[in-house]
Amino acid sequence: MKPLYLAFIVLTLALLGFSTYQALVVAPTEQTMGDVQRIFYYHVPSAWVAGVCFFVNFLASAYYLWKKSLDADALAAASAEVGVVFCTIVLITGPIWARPVWGIWWTWDARLTTTLVLWLIYVSYLVLRRFAAGSQTQTLAAALAIFGFVDVPIVYMSIRWFRTQHPSPVMGGGENSGLDPVMLHAFLWNLLAFTCIGICLIVARYRLQRMENRVEAAHANLALEGGAR
Amino acid sequence: MSGIVALKAAYTVTIVVQLGYIWYLVGRYRRVRSELKDLERSK
Repeated sequence: MKPLYLAFIVLTLALLGFSTYQALVVAPTEQTMGDVQRIFYYHVPSAWVAGVCFFVNFLASAYYLWKKSLDADALAAASAEVGVVFCTIVLITGPIWARPVWGIWWTWDARLTTTLVLWLIYVSYLVLRRFAAGSQTQTLAAALAIFGFVDVPIVYMSIRWFRTQHPSPVMGGGENSGLDPVMLHAFLWNLLAFTCIGICLIVARYRLQRMENRVEAAHANLALEGGAR
Repeated sequence: MSGIVALKAAYTVTIVVQLGYIWYLVGRYRRVRSELKDLERSK
């Protein structure tokens, strides 16, 4: 493990500890919902990291289609997998937050439904990469990633375009939106910490993908050498 | 479900999912590394 990466992991862990303290202790209790509102401090950052991962996946897939770069393909695979992990967290913590606040676990409103569709698109992407055989797999996966990314802005805009059960944007949502400064401070620390976790995981997964590519290439070479003898 | 129980449950889920994924990556990394070593030995 490279020292720079190790230092980044240590920094991320320190940030995670500090941001958790900010979310659970320093941030004031919200008046209407009470303590359960603190789920916000990792539900929203998880959604942010998932969105960023899918954006990286989109860029890497487009680059792969353009240059046929295996490194870009490895980055696309890594970012999609990490994105699915964070999107899973969003889809589980959301209903846990909804139950005491809305009285229901789930409703088919625009934000929830488009997020579930997003998760299904990227799970399909991973299944395609895992089980499809042949030289076209990476190209097909890249094409799916580019079309799949269309859902990301729809998820983001869904609470602006439609009247939904899901609350309107807390920040940047018009005159009555906004956060208490202490809450905003705690939220930004969590956003930073989760972004760092996302970067750590993408880097680890990217390296793993490159190692797997090397193994695959070595197996192919051995098979060719065996066939030539 | 009370608020504090929901908060603890959501927090636990977040940690479990992240640690589970790290565990999965470590396992996969070990497999690939041993496979690479085997390939180098067989050359």
